[in-house]
Amino acid sequence: MATATQTAVWTKDHTKIIRDGLWEKNPITFQVLGICSSLAVTTQLKTALIMAAGLTIITAFSNLVISLMRNFIPNKIRIIVQLTVVSALVISVDQILKAYMFDVSKQLSVFVGLIITNCIVMGRLEAFAMSNPPWKSFIDGLGNGLGYSAVLVTLGVIREIFGSGSLLGFRVIPEAAYAAGYMNNGMMVLAPGAFFLLGCIIWIQRSISKYSEA
Amino acid sequence: MKENTYAFVFAVIICVVCGVLLSFFSESLRPQQELNQALDIKKNILKAVVLREPIPVKAKPQDVLEIYNLKIEEAVIDAEGHVIAGETPAAVGNGTHHPLYIYKEGGQIVAYAFPIVGQGLWSTLYGYLALEADAVTVRGITFYKHGETPGLGGEIEKDWFQNNFKGKTVYSLKDNKIWPIAVVKGKAGDLCSGEKLNHCVDGITAATITGNGVTEMMDREIRKYDPYFSKVRKL
Repeated sequence: MATATQTAVWTKDHTKIIRDGLWEKNPITFQVLGICSSLAVTTQLKTALIMAAGLTIITAFSNLVISLMRNFIPNKIRIIVQLTVVSALVISVDQILKAYMFDVSKQLSVFVGLIITNCIVMGRLEAFAMSNPPWKSFIDGLGNGLGYSAVLVTLGVIREIFGSGSLLGFRVIPEAAYAAGYMNNGMMVLAPGAFFLLGCIIWIQRSISKYSEA
Repeated sequence: MKENTYAFVFAVIICVVCGVLLSFFSESLRPQQELNQALDIKKNILKAVVLREPIPVKAKPQDVLEIYNLKIEEAVIDAEGHVIAGETPAAVGNGTHHPLYIYKEGGQIVAYAFPIVGQGLWSTLYGYLALEADAVTVRGITFYKHGETPGLGGEIEKDWFQNNFKGKTVYSLKDNKIWPIAVVKGKAGDLCSGEKLNHCVDGITAATITGNGVTEMMDREIRKYDPYFSKVRKL
């Protein structure tokens, strides 16, 4: 029976790992990681989506690779090994995009560097992949990536609507509203606006999920 | 001691594996990447000069190249504004020779395009500026490479910002001198009036330094090409 649960592709454990990443141990609202990029890329929904997808893929695959190597990595140099693997992965993906999906790579431009330095990637490697088998680690990467994505998309939607009056580049607040004196909220386009919003999101998420510091 | 040796060997292996992987990707994909970059530049030149018949959205790379070869004439000018025969923009370095792209429709010159490069807040901005055949009025502008913050300085790549340049002038015919376009801090309509309005465009909220960078590069690049354009204007 024990071997059966270990080899099963999907068990309650896996569901819990995804749930933890998405909700209970959400990387942004619970672990408070990846704040920098969530402020930087959420002025528009489109960039938020690109960053979210990039980070989810990279976290999942770097978790997988590090988990495969976890029993061989010398403890003393584990952080630098993790960083090397993450960077190599990200740069390879970037090179492939530049060759075959040039437009996408132009969109990603500055985000690639942000993915490498994102604390969530390193955080999950240290906290999960170093001590768990590959498949579970991959799921954990996905779950955390999705949790990050959920917050990013929420921020992106709110900031783009109230900061620019549009969504994914399409105008959602009618011209008539502007004619009647409505103005875009300049604060929303700036980092401080995102900071206040993020604070509110963390507050709401934590009160629903009954988080306590104790 | 044994532990250290292991760590050292492991580090070396990781470095070699990652190094080989990266150089493999970089080397094997380079030709394709360079092709993409060259195509992107040509697309941007075509965008800056505002073709009379726009390129279809689904145009294949070969189609774009074909249109480019048909409509755009490449030239190189020197610091005095003379066209240097037999030199192509691809061979131009950072010296005193500057590339120039001439958009012709049925033998008639419609626009002149030239590269503009300058420093934004975080990054170097690369783009093209196109002037009408009168060498005074802006026909179009594009920015094809930059590393500015999306939503803030990154707005320079958006149509709303680039369209503001269209119809503005880089030269005062009244005073016969260069008068480059400045990106103002706010709305051009509120801050500039009279003739000055022809030389101002709206700034980007929360991206003043990127805007200043654009102002600075417009000034510098227009001066570079003025010897040539002053000859055009006299014709």
